[in-house]
Amino acid sequence: MPTVKLYANLRKLAGTKELSITGGTVGAVVNELVRQNPPVGEIIVEHGELRRHIIVTLNGQNITDLGTPVTEQDTLAIFPPIAGGEGEAHGWLV
Amino acid sequence: MAGWSEKVLDIDLSTQTCRTYPLDMEIARLFIGGRGLGARLLWDMVGPEVDPLSPENVLIFTNGPLTGTGYQTSNRFSVTTKSPLTGTILDANSGGFWGMQFKKAGYDVMIVRGKAEKPVWIEIRNGEISFHDASELWGMRVFALTAKLGHNNNKRNVLCIGPAGENLSRIASIMNDRERALARGGPGAVMGSKNLKAVVVEGKDRPAIDDPERFKFLLYETRKLLAASPLTSQALPEFGTVVLMNIMNNIGALATRNHQQTQFEGADAISGEELTEKYLVKNASCWACPIGCTRVSKTGKGESEGPEFESTWAFGAQCGIDDLPAIIEANTLCNDLGIDTISVGSTIACAMELSEKGYMDSDLRFGRADQLAPVIEAMAYRRDVGADLADGSLRLATKYGHPELSMTAKGLEFPAYDPRGMQGQGLLYATSNRGGCHMRGNMVGPEVLGLPKMIDRFQVQGKSSFVILHQNVSAAIDSLVLCKFTNMGVADEYFARVLSTVTGIQYDTGEMTRVGERVWNLEKLYNLREGFSRKDDTLPPRLLNEAPVDGPSQGWVVQLEPMLKEYYRGRGWDENGVPRPKKLEELQLADLLVRN
Repeated sequence: MPTVKLYANLRKLAGTKELSITGGTVGAVVNELVRQNPPVGEIIVEHGELRRHIIVTLNGQNITDLGTPVTEQDTLAIFPPIAGGEGEAHGWLV
Repeated sequence: MAGWSEKVLDIDLSTQTCRTYPLDMEIARLFIGGRGLGARLLWDMVGPEVDPLSPENVLIFTNGPLTGTGYQTSNRFSVTTKSPLTGTILDANSGGFWGMQFKKAGYDVMIVRGKAEKPVWIEIRNGEISFHDASELWGMRVFALTAKLGHNNNKRNVLCIGPAGENLSRIASIMNDRERALARGGPGAVMGSKNLKAVVVEGKDRPAIDDPERFKFLLYETRKLLAASPLTSQALPEFGTVVLMNIMNNIGALATRNHQQTQFEGADAISGEELTEKYLVKNASCWACPIGCTRVSKTGKGESEGPEFESTWAFGAQCGIDDLPAIIEANTLCNDLGIDTISVGSTIACAMELSEKGYMDSDLRFGRADQLAPVIEAMAYRRDVGADLADGSLRLATKYGHPELSMTAKGLEFPAYDPRGMQGQGLLYATSNRGGCHMRGNMVGPEVLGLPKMIDRFQVQGKSSFVILHQNVSAAIDSLVLCKFTNMGVADEYFARVLSTVTGIQYDTGEMTRVGERVWNLEKLYNLREGFSRKDDTLPPRLLNEAPVDGPSQGWVVQLEPMLKEYYRGRGWDENGVPRPKKLEELQLADLLVRN
């Protein structure tokens, strides 16, 4: 099964840093994660879609297409919104 | 005029005299304050003939028209000088309380010239400026000195140097409010060269606001915007800036072991998550800041502020160290000694690589957490191996015949982001006027965090337009002066409304960006006058030629040349990176060259 790594407050909500979740695409894995962990789902999904500014990477590459296929050996990482806002702010971090 | 105090305090340490005169308000309108105002004043005062550590160099402390008004994060101030580390124009800005207090003392600018015959400290109180003998304070560390001089966050604020500044380390910082730093490029050495140990300020007058009712509404609206942003309301308060550690590592853009790798196997052990779970005592914040990103951490050696992401990275991944308590203590030690954490960590990493490869005879090795504190002490006092490291990695690596191992641009050590995994960040580093720096238009927003939208971090074509925009906006925010974190929740267009409301001068969005562009071009002109040229807009060979052999950035080097060409064109500069006359006319800078 693909490995899913969670970060920031998602760890507390899921009670773990890492899980193995079944699914053949990024979207399927995310859906299964949300089904198993409703508190995580509240943070990352809204109206059945990933919330804006949720960062999902597949083996370290940013993913925007939830239809991207995943294999057993792949690692998905999910970061909660650590950036964003009402306006089209630019986003600076030190 | 509201916003500005319209007063310059000009201090000559050689004669221990001072005078006060009106601020040129046309200059203030064009450059606002902070970084912009400092650059404009330095242009007239310090030319290429001046050695940065000579009495002829100046320290220009500036606040901005928003400083001290109570607008969210309006606590910041700048220092501008010629850098003893890079020889470029330098400005560094800092938060805390001192900037607000200095504004309340009734000044927009404090210029410090000359050199005192023996150590002095300056007190600004009840409208009086007094010089005090600092002979007995010379040698004191920052925390003890700050307490001794009567620091009180909201009433009496202390700005000072530690032993690193006294010993003219070219990476020494100026500290304020105990653990805040004007950190980069060695301003602490300039202050040390003037025999100035501290400036203590007490103020009492809030700056005037042109339209107080509208200002109240903007405060209310900004509070809502910051509360609505997940970053400023949740991520930064909960995890601090170190929350970036795992993200940067995950995408293969976390510089590791002096940029020999782009991922660190110990990243999770030094992450924001780990810091929060095991070492966080509480949050703290600067004056008028609702975000509260400051960490107060505790190890077996006590409590202290920090560490920030860059400091954690510099002593962590960059040195191959995953011992978080040792990193927290190294950060605290640097603050107490008054020395820049990023440059210290990266210089130690450079020494570790030089030593491991047999170029330098020392026992410094990657991963040795036990070596951090002793070598930092040695750097601040120029003792033993520290004498070689005290002036940064470029001088160190050059001494041992391998300047290519210094991870710097124009001599300033890079922060955490490895630009092989973020092409725009590479262009930013190469073109930054103060050297390798992320605070001059960080590309982590669009290239990593998807803010305002995600762009391909490996993309080269078209990237320069994002970099230029970010650089200009960054320069404008630094001239207000506000914390860049505010811009996580509040669009930069909004700042024009705030500035207009406070000053009564109508700035629109375009004018704010234009101010940023004007400041950027003036800084460029300054560096050109100092003899910098196209060859200095570059990166170390490692980042241009050595691709990571594994991880998500595998196979990538920085494609600098095509981005640089596009960048110069986009800026309206010629192929050698010199601003064209038409651009200078457009920015109202042309007459500077004529008068020069």
